[in-house]
Amino acid sequence: MSTHQMAKLPSRSRFDAVAFGMGIIQNRIVSRLLRSLLVGFGVMTIAFFLLRLVPGDPVQLLLGDTGTPELVEAYRQMLGLDGTLPEQYLRYLGSVMQGDLGTSINSSVSVNTIIARSLPVTLWLIAVTIVLALALALPLSIAAAIYQRTWFGHTFRVASSILLATPVFYSGLLLLLLFAIQLKVAPVAGYRTTFPTNLNYLWLPALVLCGVMVPITARVLQSSVIDTLDQEFVETAVVRGLGRLTFTWRYLLRPSLAPTISLLGYMIGQLLSAAVVVELVFNLPGIGTSLIVEGVLLRDYPVVQGIVLVFGMIVVIVSFLSDLVSGWLDPRTQT
Amino acid sequence: MKSMTRVLPKLNGEAHWGVAILAIIILLGVLVPLLSPFNPIRSAGDTFITPGMPHLFGTDQLGRDVFTRTFAAAQLDITLAVLGVAFPLVIGTFMGGVLGTTRNPVVSGAWLIIIDAINAFPFLAIVIGVVAMVGSGVQGLLIALAAVNWARYAKIARARALQLRDADFIHATQVLGYSRVQVLTRHILPNVYSESLAYGLSDFVIVIIAIAGLSFLGVGVRPPEAEWGAMISDGRPFLRQAWWITVFPGLTLSLTAIGVALLAQGLTNRSRGED
Repeated sequence: MSTHQMAKLPSRSRFDAVAFGMGIIQNRIVSRLLRSLLVGFGVMTIAFFLLRLVPGDPVQLLLGDTGTPELVEAYRQMLGLDGTLPEQYLRYLGSVMQGDLGTSINSSVSVNTIIARSLPVTLWLIAVTIVLALALALPLSIAAAIYQRTWFGHTFRVASSILLATPVFYSGLLLLLLFAIQLKVAPVAGYRTTFPTNLNYLWLPALVLCGVMVPITARVLQSSVIDTLDQEFVETAVVRGLGRLTFTWRYLLRPSLAPTISLLGYMIGQLLSAAVVVELVFNLPGIGTSLIVEGVLLRDYPVVQGIVLVFGMIVVIVSFLSDLVSGWLDPRTQT
Repeated sequence: MKSMTRVLPKLNGEAHWGVAILAIIILLGVLVPLLSPFNPIRSAGDTFITPGMPHLFGTDQLGRDVFTRTFAAAQLDITLAVLGVAFPLVIGTFMGGVLGTTRNPVVSGAWLIIIDAINAFPFLAIVIGVVAMVGSGVQGLLIALAAVNWARYAKIARARALQLRDADFIHATQVLGYSRVQVLTRHILPNVYSESLAYGLSDFVIVIIAIAGLSFLGVGVRPPEAEWGAMISDGRPFLRQAWWITVFPGLTLSLTAIGVALLAQGLTNRSRGED
């Protein structure tokens, strides 16, 4: 969009101006969507080639020397390894598009069933983490931005480095020792799926995940709040003597949220990585536990392939949505 | 490269702490396995001895000396993490340099999609996925880290190479009739490297935690090898009666990661001109 077009805008009718704005938004959505589709396609391709990384013949590896020719053929079909490579690839894309992620070798259950059983637990864990992390990160980041040059800002910087450098499986075990074994205020392991009861099992793992989520969120928020503080409208608000709450929300936080939201895809990726480990520490039957226990340790290739694909797709979808929301929140990010 | 050496002697407070912590851990990692009377993978007497003399960090469920094991693990983990950063750094920077200078939109577009797709996966999940396929153990870990992590370096190096492509001195090489290989190896890559090295330092923190994490999950370094994540996993069933099996290796791992993180942050602040 050129300045020439911009200059013309006021002289035209209001309808034209709205249509002009809609055009930008639509172009933006279409181009983002195209990009996400391409990356999603790339994610599927990588999931496909994952199985081809197995050195030698996966079927031979699974069956050893015991396989009869019929059994070998059956396994080949189950893993989608029959036919030429392009055939296998197209067939894989086709079944993934139809929502079929294959069948577990060990339990003969469909991978979809495994994911449908375990994914909700992980999503609950992530939801609780996000709520908890925001409650901690919002006030922290504002304080760290305002008192950037004091001991508080310095402590904030060092403390977030230390938190990010602490592995979640270690902090998880230490908090488990403290809260579940010593203080007995949290269950040591296990899970119940019903709503209010599950929070009892989720708050401690979510607190551990906050060790990852809070430093990342608070750092991004802090730097955008610092940028916002330099804006003239903030000075105006100070001069006008607005109430503390109105000032914080309307003049500091809301204009600073867009960069954080546009990073949501990245954050969900970090969170999912950490969740795999935390689920195993707390024995939560989530998708990370399925990946390790039902997939990797049992050499169940379709389960690994399917779950890794789902992980990638979640990030692609969340990135797309967060792009849209941040563009809507702050039109300056539209390029 | 030059900018790194110029920065190093003038570190600020945070970076000093980082260097000090790392120096102590590396020194102990070299000396303890050499001087210790105990073998890191053999029993040294009774099981579950509380920390004291001669077992500074106590003994584990098999009677092995936790102090010796912790610093034998320091050697293994730090070496693995250095390799786990170095391979992808070299591969990714080279790929990024090539992609940043190529004029073929189809080739660079296709690679860009692959790079974005690899980066889209949650890091640990895709590394676990590759390890599940190529097999666990030290070799599988390093293959998986290289196969996944190069994409991040490629992204950084490509962005830098794209900026350089239009710089005057690159135009000059074209006028002088240098071949593309010469331009890439002698002019683009040396200028792209400093950026990759700067990222490599913060990447080290991610990689060393990933290595220990995978071993903790049972898909990395195999027992009885002394490795921090595997040791933490070993001590987990005995957390209540023998906390030291878990706490000491975990503390050393965290301190190593914190040391590198502080060093990385000190260098970043320095290059941004604030102390």
